[in-house]
Amino acid sequence: MTANPGRWIGRTYLGLVLVFLYLPIAIMILMAFNRSALYELPFTFDTVWFEALAKNDRLLTASFNSVVIAAINAVIATTIGTLAALGLARYSFRGRRLLQLLLFPPITIPWLIIGTSMLVFFFWTGIGRGLHAILLGHVALSLPYVIVVVGARLASFGAQLEEAAATLGATPWQILRRVTAPILAPGIMAASLFAFAVSFDQFVISYFLAAPGTSTLPVEIYTSIRKGFTPEINAISSIIILVSMGLMMLVVRHFRFGGER
Amino acid sequence: MSRVEIAHLCKRYDSVTALDDVSIAFEDGEFFGLLGPSGSGKTTLLRALAGFVIPDSGTIRFDGQRVENVPVHRREIGMVFQNYALFPHLTVNENIAFGLSVRGRPRAETAKRVDAMLALVRLEGLGERKPRQLSGGQQQRVALARALVTDPKILLLDEPLGALDRRLRQEMQVELREIQRSTGITAVFVTHDQEEALTLSDRIAIIDRGRLIQIGPPRDVYERPATIFAAQFLGDTNLFQGIPDGESLKLSGGQVLRTAGPNAGAVVVRPEKIGVYPADATPTTDNRLDGEILQAIFSGASVTYRVRVPALGETPLLAFLQNQAGDVLAPGARVSLAWSAAHTVPVAS
Amino acid sequence: MDATTRRRWAIAGLTGPAYLWLALTVFLPLSAMFYFSFLTAAPIGGRVAAFTLEHYIAFFTKSVYWFNARRSLELGIHVTLACILIGYPAALVLAKQISGRWREALFLLIILPFWSNALVRTFSWTMVLRGDGLIGRMINPLLPAGWEFDLLFTYPAIVIGLVHAYLPYAILTIYISLQAIDDSFIEAARSLGASRLKAFRRITLPLSIPGVLAGIFLIFVPVIGSFMEPRILGGKNAIMLGPIIENQFVTAFNWPLGSALSFIMLGIVLLVLAIASPVVRRHLSVG
Repeated sequence: MTANPGRWIGRTYLGLVLVFLYLPIAIMILMAFNRSALYELPFTFDTVWFEALAKNDRLLTASFNSVVIAAINAVIATTIGTLAALGLARYSFRGRRLLQLLLFPPITIPWLIIGTSMLVFFFWTGIGRGLHAILLGHVALSLPYVIVVVGARLASFGAQLEEAAATLGATPWQILRRVTAPILAPGIMAASLFAFAVSFDQFVISYFLAAPGTSTLPVEIYTSIRKGFTPEINAISSIIILVSMGLMMLVVRHFRFGGER
Repeated sequence: MSRVEIAHLCKRYDSVTALDDVSIAFEDGEFFGLLGPSGSGKTTLLRALAGFVIPDSGTIRFDGQRVENVPVHRREIGMVFQNYALFPHLTVNENIAFGLSVRGRPRAETAKRVDAMLALVRLEGLGERKPRQLSGGQQQRVALARALVTDPKILLLDEPLGALDRRLRQEMQVELREIQRSTGITAVFVTHDQEEALTLSDRIAIIDRGRLIQIGPPRDVYERPATIFAAQFLGDTNLFQGIPDGESLKLSGGQVLRTAGPNAGAVVVRPEKIGVYPADATPTTDNRLDGEILQAIFSGASVTYRVRVPALGETPLLAFLQNQAGDVLAPGARVSLAWSAAHTVPVAS
Repeated sequence: MDATTRRRWAIAGLTGPAYLWLALTVFLPLSAMFYFSFLTAAPIGGRVAAFTLEHYIAFFTKSVYWFNARRSLELGIHVTLACILIGYPAALVLAKQISGRWREALFLLIILPFWSNALVRTFSWTMVLRGDGLIGRMINPLLPAGWEFDLLFTYPAIVIGLVHAYLPYAILTIYISLQAIDDSFIEAARSLGASRLKAFRRITLPLSIPGVLAGIFLIFVPVIGSFMEPRILGGKNAIMLGPIIENQFVTAFNWPLGSALSFIMLGIVLLVLAIASPVVRRHLSVG
């Protein structure tokens, strides 16, 4: 169909795009294993920075905070998000479109504005800053993604199965437990991994809502960069990027297999 | 088995009237067909019986008890969905057992009943399969078995055979009827396929735009349609309009048709009731019109003629004939059309 | 309890928690910030504030804000344009030339970096762009005298970093809309006498506009509001609205001003999008 040169041009172009996308990440990971602290070549493989990382309390505490918040966020966002997705998908009511539209602002308004408005509001109402505030913010950002992901899975198998179960005498609770939940499970898994990733990688909101002294990993990395580069940041950054990309691969594979059925 | 009655059911969605004062008393053990075009409200009616639609006004009674406010899972109905809605994550056995298991029936009893059901729908041996491993026809039977196993008061079927191809559909029609007869359950099904409605039903209701147009046994509704819509929806028909005159109808060209009773200006004649003769023949029937063949459609066992008849103007007259003689009249041929007064049925508009 | 009431409670119970959370953390805060933007000072800690329009007026009168807004808009346009121009061919190749498992795999590869940590990604660019970084050390000895590869803390660095971040978005949205175009449309056009190029211009391009628009929308807005990438990659060169707003909240503590600037930014974004979409649509449609 396409002339041969056309094919090769196309593939080369795509290859170049991929190189562009992965170049900085590759270099960063490479440098994390380089003994030199200042990018000096030649490249000597060394894990010294990872060892230094293990002793860097600030970074470790921040990592811990990030993981815990991301986990709690995943649980909360997945739970209330799934419920909301069920409500939106299985019932038609006045105002449903409005509710669906309301899911857009958190993801389309620049996070800068969302972060600052949260800061303003939380301070004003006494909620204040800190890890609890960060959690509040992260759940808000994760919710639209959870609702959309779970909603898509719900749409794919329609209300018919639940109606059939009702005609067979199952109470709403039984329907949820025996029909909806098992079939929805892959979608819920994907959504919770999504939520975890959104929270773990989140910088802007965490930046504004962090109380001095305690913060999450991205914020900690940012302040360290502003102060002056230390190679441990390289190490932790490499770990993070590999973890979050790995997480995403998991989501896709899971979702793919769940969606097949 | 129970008496199911609906009275004066009304339902509106915004500006659309889905059900307009519909009342039907279903006979115990009958196979009842709800027939109508898309959007006629027939599915809304079925879903109201099931409990998915809550009527604005009117009553639904099962054995004399009002059930409009009884939730779906407590109405003790059985329902077969258009796409079967088999639970993909459960086996055939588990699907069929579902209704019993949510009621907490003991395992042994459930297993026995499931086996009995599998035998009834002739799917023995397939119990451990998953739905996606079954053919369309097999899935349909599982759906039926699942709905019947709980001994429901009424069986509701939403376009049950719509997803099957023609041959399979005809087989399933026969099976469905047999199963319903052997269990004696009252069944209400929805279809837009009039042939199916005629074949399966003990009684039919024709519904259009939320209103009940006509209700009765298939033969009655077919041979004596109440309105022009009923006549045209259920099979083909020829519509003659003119000035009523006692038991006759005066057509615009001066011809007079003898009708089966007093009319209000409109009568219908079914195509299969019309005989086609050469132009110079003089059949001794009540009604006779001359015409010219426009088109002859040969379909093997029968022939359909489209005939230009002055009395009908632009609309061709349709006549169905069995292909007895084996020869087909050519377009342009002049013919005489003849039929009896008894088959000239007055309809309301 | 009758059926209708039961239904209402079910709907409220299911959607309530999530939307209450959103109300508390997104909608109320936005309203609060809007309210703040009209005050002389933040009404916290016992301070009393009066109604004023001075912050909004300041935007129009102080040239520094205009300048920054303009820079932000330029940045938005440059990055969005680059993403679309680079991304469209890539999406085209992916949608039309590659098939099967390769397509899925490549698609995943393209999306993956997008889902990695934005901060870390931006940080990784500092290592590529700095003069004494890996690339710098390899290229500089080869460059003619007077030329130097040191892009860090320059405007191009910001653009590169942002394009890298949002390119997958563009490829994603354009790919989705290209994929939906049935090959039979192209075949029909060619059977009617259109050359490959013509078929592309008159069939493929117009049908892919929704994807392009979606991409523009999804890229332009965050880029205008970015402050982290400009700060990290641009350093002192990060004279844009984003960093200025961040400044008001974190360093200068002039929250009402920051609030006003935030809403002005939001307004600018919506205005540009409202103007841009019909233009793009008309320009790329059958012509």
